[in-house]
Amino acid sequence: MTINPGHPQRDSAHVAASGALNPPLISGGHGFHSITEKISGIVEGPAPKGWVIVFSAALSLTFLLIGLIGYLVWEGTGVWGLNNPVGWGWAIVNFVFWVGIGHAGTLISAVLFLFRQKWRTSINRFAEAMTLFAVICALVFPTIHVGRIWLLYYIFPVPNQMDMWPNFRSPLLWDVFAVTIYFTVSLLFWYTGLIPDLASLRDRAKTRARQLIFGILSLGWRGGNRHWQNYELAYLLLAGLATPLVLSVHSVVSTDFATSVIPGWHTTIFPPYFVAGAIFSGFAMVMTLAIIAREIFGIRDFITDNHLDKMSKIMLVTGMMVGYAYAMEFFVAWYSGNSYEAFTFINRAIGPYAWAYWIMVSCNVLIPQLYWFRKVRQNVKILFVTSILVNVGMWFERFVITVTSLSRDFLPSSWDYYSPTWVDIFTFVGTFGLFFTFFLVFLRFLPMVSIAEVKGVLPEANPHHHPSHGETEL
Amino acid sequence: MKKRDTGSSTQGGRQYWRSLDHFVGSAEYNELVQREFPEGTLELGQKLDRRKFLNLMGASLALAGLTSCRRPVEKIIPYSVAPESIIPGIPKHFATSMPFGHDAFGLVVESHEGRPTKIEGNPQHPSTLGSASAQIQAEILNLYDPDRSQVVLRGDLPFRWADFVHHWRGLREDHLTDKGARLAILSGAVNGPTEQRLVAEFMIQFPQAIWATWEPVNDDNILQGMFEAYGNRLLPEARFDRAQRILSLDDDFLNTGTAALRNSRLFAARRRNIDPVKHMNRLFVVESGYSLTGAMADHRLAIPASQIGPFLAALTMRLKKQGLDLPVIPDGEISTHFDDHFLDALTKDLLSNIDGSLIKVGRSQPPAVHTLAAAVNEGLSRGHGISTLKYIHDSKSSIPASDHLLSLTESLREGKIDTLILLGSNPVYTAPAELKFAELLSSVPNTIHVGSHRDESGQQCHWHIPTAHFLECWGDTSSLNGTLAITQPLIKPLFGSKSKIELINLLVTGVEKTGYELVRESWRKRLKGESFDKAWRRVVHDGVFPESAVKSYSVELRPDAVKEAFSKCAQPPDHGLEIYFQPSASLYDGRYANNGWLQENPDPMTKLTWDNAALVSPETAQKLGVKNEDIIAISHHDATVELPVWIQPGLASDTIVLELGYGRRNLGRIAQGSGTDVYPLRRSDGLYFASEVKVAVTGRKGKLACTQDHHGLDEEQLARQAIQDRLPMIVREATLSEYTKHPNFARERVEHPPLESLFEEQNYDEGYQWGMAIDLNVCTGCSACSIACQSENNIPVVGKEEVSRGREMHWIRLDRYFSGSQEDPEVVFQPVGCQHCENAPCEGVCPVAATVHDEEGLNTMVYNRCIGTRYCANNCPYKVRRFNFFNYTKELPEIVQMAMNPDVTMRFRGVMEKCTYCVQRISRSKIVAKNEGRELKDGDVVSACQQTCPTDAIVFGNLNDPDSKVSQLKMQNLNYELLAELNVQPRTSYLAKLRNPFEEMKTSAKSENKHHDH
Repeated sequence: MTINPGHPQRDSAHVAASGALNPPLISGGHGFHSITEKISGIVEGPAPKGWVIVFSAALSLTFLLIGLIGYLVWEGTGVWGLNNPVGWGWAIVNFVFWVGIGHAGTLISAVLFLFRQKWRTSINRFAEAMTLFAVICALVFPTIHVGRIWLLYYIFPVPNQMDMWPNFRSPLLWDVFAVTIYFTVSLLFWYTGLIPDLASLRDRAKTRARQLIFGILSLGWRGGNRHWQNYELAYLLLAGLATPLVLSVHSVVSTDFATSVIPGWHTTIFPPYFVAGAIFSGFAMVMTLAIIAREIFGIRDFITDNHLDKMSKIMLVTGMMVGYAYAMEFFVAWYSGNSYEAFTFINRAIGPYAWAYWIMVSCNVLIPQLYWFRKVRQNVKILFVTSILVNVGMWFERFVITVTSLSRDFLPSSWDYYSPTWVDIFTFVGTFGLFFTFFLVFLRFLPMVSIAEVKGVLPEANPHHHPSHGETEL
Repeated sequence: MKKRDTGSSTQGGRQYWRSLDHFVGSAEYNELVQREFPEGTLELGQKLDRRKFLNLMGASLALAGLTSCRRPVEKIIPYSVAPESIIPGIPKHFATSMPFGHDAFGLVVESHEGRPTKIEGNPQHPSTLGSASAQIQAEILNLYDPDRSQVVLRGDLPFRWADFVHHWRGLREDHLTDKGARLAILSGAVNGPTEQRLVAEFMIQFPQAIWATWEPVNDDNILQGMFEAYGNRLLPEARFDRAQRILSLDDDFLNTGTAALRNSRLFAARRRNIDPVKHMNRLFVVESGYSLTGAMADHRLAIPASQIGPFLAALTMRLKKQGLDLPVIPDGEISTHFDDHFLDALTKDLLSNIDGSLIKVGRSQPPAVHTLAAAVNEGLSRGHGISTLKYIHDSKSSIPASDHLLSLTESLREGKIDTLILLGSNPVYTAPAELKFAELLSSVPNTIHVGSHRDESGQQCHWHIPTAHFLECWGDTSSLNGTLAITQPLIKPLFGSKSKIELINLLVTGVEKTGYELVRESWRKRLKGESFDKAWRRVVHDGVFPESAVKSYSVELRPDAVKEAFSKCAQPPDHGLEIYFQPSASLYDGRYANNGWLQENPDPMTKLTWDNAALVSPETAQKLGVKNEDIIAISHHDATVELPVWIQPGLASDTIVLELGYGRRNLGRIAQGSGTDVYPLRRSDGLYFASEVKVAVTGRKGKLACTQDHHGLDEEQLARQAIQDRLPMIVREATLSEYTKHPNFARERVEHPPLESLFEEQNYDEGYQWGMAIDLNVCTGCSACSIACQSENNIPVVGKEEVSRGREMHWIRLDRYFSGSQEDPEVVFQPVGCQHCENAPCEGVCPVAATVHDEEGLNTMVYNRCIGTRYCANNCPYKVRRFNFFNYTKELPEIVQMAMNPDVTMRFRGVMEKCTYCVQRISRSKIVAKNEGRELKDGDVVSACQQTCPTDAIVFGNLNDPDSKVSQLKMQNLNYELLAELNVQPRTSYLAKLRNPFEEMKTSAKSENKHHDH
């Protein structure tokens, strides 16, 4: 669909006045109606060719993942490359990686919402969706990495014939709680935000099936004042609930490492360092996906260059935080006077895994430095490539932390090199399939941009003649 | 066992055919077809007794209903009349003895309901003194080896035993006519009075026949050297408990040498830190390989094996010059390129301890070196009252000699022999290469192979007769010092095989007689005094007949022979590349090649498993231009052998060390594909070392599975430096003089802040509190503990592929560290099992509480609860936890399952496991104590590793008992805890290692460098 070219530019004075510092959040001269048409049209119209191709590829990879999980369960964990000192390999690296990606959604939805960053409205919906799907991908790994998956329920505090609780001292158990809570709250938050849009789709539905499905999903939303009031309060509360989770999930994940005694793991810097890294990688992923979605569905007016610019600034900040953490690790290793600790970090930089370490440093510390330049921030191609590189770097960060520390710990007699098998590699690839399968289904069947919220940032929605409205909208 | 199968299991329910394997002709299936009836059914000629009948009927009934259930139902048939002595669940122990070459080991074997499961040493037997080496313990797997031959074969066809008996009776009549002139027997060492009696009877029956003996690793050189020196067949027995200064010339007397178990115990007695300043001996080792004895050395010199003679000659001259009474040695000096400093200091030290000095020469050295060493020993301690050597007369000429084999092959070549019987000997594999035994064998019209496996020789013989394992048959043995012992069967022959003596008896008399009768016959005149049956019962029960030990033999030196030996030794040898053959520390001469435990037991020095390699020093490797795992082709005369290189610091330069025993051909599923056969390079003029060797680099790589040093000495500088930095903290070591100056060095080596806990810690003041102390000072690194643990705790064998992935399962491993320079490194060993930390890092992190502490301080592992997150293994600072990555025991043949200890759970895949401090042994002892209405006392609970340690380096016991041995050891100032600075509070501690270098040797630059960080 194309935008009606004859549509007059509205409120051009306002655009011109704020454009110098803050370009409009929505370009292309959209009004309330054209927004609804545009976004709902994607869901209601036929699937673009690009979507079909990408979806088929993603679905194939999902089947690959399912097949490999079957193989793993049938044969045993030995089909992976794990060995004696390195008991955690790609599976845990991938888990942390995907959980990290899952951070941006909540951050954009909740934290930016609380800070009234209105530019979030164009990207929050699919960022939240991305969070959910990333967390699903993440949850695959701790589930399948155990040796006896059929006894996994031991880990949940459910009544059982052994009359036995799980071990509440174990950070792995904290993980279970942290990630499931995070997933639940994110899901609720996402769904709550979807309700007005689902109602729009219901109202526009032309088939009985769509009417029924969207009718059920929109929970009887009629758009009344009272509805809006309750909705906005609920949304605010959920945002308040979700905000601490942004910090807690990855902090808890980091305790898997931080509470251990292994040099390179046993360090108090991990919680903030992991959170910064997670936001960093999450934003990189949002950037990658946003650029793809913009191209496939032609929604450059909603996800504007301005949005990309803002996201790159956040990546610059979090990238610097991560870089600072890398430096601090070295400093503390030296300052602590602990020779094991010092060796671990020198070993990372010049040992057998130095290649992984330097990929990590280049991608996570050096590449974001490009974002100092406005020209880079405005160049979609560079942004696309660098956002992918950042996620490569972040994957390697988790690899470096998990594997290098284990492969050379205290007693040199047990040192060993770890390398993945083809099963490790394709399982990881398979989770991308799973992720994109979910994501493409989402893009196809649900409004990827929040119709209701985007309308709220249009100049028309500026409540200068409704002073009381502004307070509740937040 | 070695290879994992990916699919088929015979466990499922409706299986109308039994998996694809059976159609495509797996070995088992072929065998099954060949046998007509599956294992366990009655063979023709076996008597069907009532119990067997009931067994079979019960089993058939059970099998009838099998297709409808998910898992096979196994009926347990109770004893209808229980044997008097067996209480189900309570193991019995029986004494027996095991022949090994011309030595024998007295053993105590644990038996569960008639099924032997574990071998331990018999404390009353002089060869074992209660310990058992890795190989002896692994014999239990040999017993249950599914690849043992099970039926008599003629060609490839199965025959009945009776057929063979019939066949032999015919042959025997033929051979009797010419008094056996065309009959020859080649056997291994003839050991024990019954075998000796039967061999003698054989020679009476067939006076013209040849009975040759051949052991590929033998003591011929020693015997011949002694013969020249003293004019008698003598074997020296070293008295390490008396020796204060020991010089070993290429003799690995602590591991692969003769009488190693006994030597280890006696040597350790003078090494142990009781009063080190007074007692500690000093060991000098001059060798070409790097043996465990070399690792124990206080001073070690690596020179090629051919230079040992000249070294001894040079030493002799110096000793004489310094006043040692050696009249036959000419005065003067010979120029050598040996380290003068080393020689001078050695001379001085030997002389200043003249009455406690001992020179030991290894079996690899030519007779002249032994003769000369005997003469020097006469001049040293033997001439000064307290003798460190005693000579044992070998009157029975039971010891195999290479010249027997040579004369046999001569007769074979001349076509003089019609019938050749290979009696437990495998000359096609082990005979010197130039004899070309395989060709000779095919020219003999009638060949009979008798052995446990259809080995390389068996595959070429017309007949193959399986023999019983020593745990299955009656027999007797004679150990090195003449002590006799009975071999008592622990189980009926699994495959109905006959024992060696039963066979020899058949050969001699043509009549069958049971082994029991034969042995009793031989013993009837030996056991005098009391009634025979009573005495017999005592000897069988004790497992040893101590009265039979040979008293020391007084000898007189023959000066001419010594003179000649000296001039032979003094000749400078050829220079150039040398190959040096040594028996594998695991497979010995190849007899243990089909044993999974031993194949997977890392070589103590190289830590290689499943393979042998061409070991070279870093310097030689550089010269040859090779790296680890590069395949080289070694040519010697007309033979070429290709095998991968492994760089081993500390070897003599220009020497390639080759291990015997690998590269077996079609022996069995374990041996298949493991290592390279180096026997083709071994000729009778160079059984142990040879020059004129050419080496070519092939450019190919051969993968080796190593359990340590994936990133060791040959790796980057960073790792090497880190290891050297850490080593003083991990293995705390000092010289004796440093120790006298700083008696608390072990505790003070690592500085750390006070170890305090944020929490109120569990109080362990009451009840039994188990702990262990390991004395690094006497640990030789022999790996007996590791195999003991494997046998006791049903530890699976995972195969080469899995080991190279770093997934070996040993609960107690021997860490080997090099220190010092690459050319002259020192080696230390450290056994590491679970340390049972009071503050165990593994316990807190397990999400399902599958590893928890008990009130006696054991860090327990609850297999049923474990879901396999592997978090505990990650968080273990000692990395002693082992994960079942696959179902390693899935393919365990049923017969091997009989070797498993029923007191220990088999672990499924996905489960973590580790050392339990032998919790089953603790429980068993507690039950015994409770029944006797008493508390446990020190020594009641003995862990498997402790029980078998040849040097008593491992001590286990109750820490709450201040008088227990372990508490006493922990009170010593040498005691330290590994990684104590982590505040994990391990229950296992180590006693620091001491070396006793000669002060004057230390001034040399090399030594100074060596000791810089101590």
